[in-house]
Amino acid sequence: MSRMMLEKTGLELGNYLTYLTRREEVIASNIANADTPGYKTRDLASPGDFSSALADWTSTVEADGLPSHNDGNNVAIDREAKLLAENSLKFNLATQMLRGEFKDIRSAIEEGRA
Amino acid sequence: MSLFNAIAISASGMEAQRARAEIITENLANADTTRTPEGGPYRRKDAVFTTAPMPASFSDALSSASGVAVSDITIDDRDPERRYIPGHPDADAQGYVAFPRVDAAEEMVDLMSASRGYQANVAAISAVKDMIARSIDLFR
Amino acid sequence: MSIPFGIIPSTLTGLGATGSSPGTGASLPESSFADAFATAVNQVESAQASAKTAAMDLLAGGKGDVHTVAVEAQRAELSLELFQQVRNKFVSAYQEIMKMPM
Repeated sequence: MSRMMLEKTGLELGNYLTYLTRREEVIASNIANADTPGYKTRDLASPGDFSSALADWTSTVEADGLPSHNDGNNVAIDREAKLLAENSLKFNLATQMLRGEFKDIRSAIEEGRA
Repeated sequence: MSLFNAIAISASGMEAQRARAEIITENLANADTTRTPEGGPYRRKDAVFTTAPMPASFSDALSSASGVAVSDITIDDRDPERRYIPGHPDADAQGYVAFPRVDAAEEMVDLMSASRGYQANVAAISAVKDMIARSIDLFR
Repeated sequence: MSIPFGIIPSTLTGLGATGSSPGTGASLPESSFADAFATAVNQVESAQASAKTAAMDLLAGGKGDVHTVAVEAQRAELSLELFQQVRNKFVSAYQEIMKMPM
């Protein structure tokens, strides 16, 4: 029973969810601009450390390795569709795990009652 | 909030593709319009897409994800197609009629692209709605 | 036989105090009941304040994410439950001691 334990509850998974949320925004932007001349596909920089309280994923970078069409646009809709699906699955998994984490802590607290 | 911003972005995508489809449909409908109030045959139009920032209420100041908007509708200013039809009401002195430069096949391909783009944005909104619902479940 | 107050944690003599009182006799390890009690109270208050701020920021200003507000809310609730357990232990420990034959 310590202050530290509860402060860290949901920190790592919460950060991971934030990362997925920001990435979803970027994917949405790529899809919306799939036909915008000159638009280059964007992505988040590398995931980094999910255990830090200061983690932040606001900066985006240009995605590599995508060929451009005549108008300069390089959005590959199948790439975005794949990322969209993956993102949803990861979000699903992470929220389930987070619920499990809360449930486990609740059990641990209640067990102390005995 | 990021997820609401993502929805706003996808909604802007839907709107842009819808406007584009509308313009293409107008081109197709007027493929054989040889006479317009402005004079001359119909001139086909193109929708120009540009990135557009999202309203501040949804996006964080730091967010660099942007939506899209139709910034301009350009008029195709190529010379009209001339076909030799001497008896036509709009034929000129030499018997040529000026037709719009609308290639139906090209317009259809474009329309299909707009339709796919629209669907992709719909799929994105659907995915985000699911994520919001799961986030709300975390309160339970 | 009177209770030798020297061997009972000083905190029990200050029942109801929310801060730790100066020791009158035996020194116990840091985790005396009053310290745990005070820590838990602070934790509950700060967790609830934080959850409330996060929720208002999201609802009124559209800032933040639903999942982070949910995590804050859960933390606040868990803090409260933990606090209740600590308080219950505190009360039952006191009751046990009061039952000791004099």
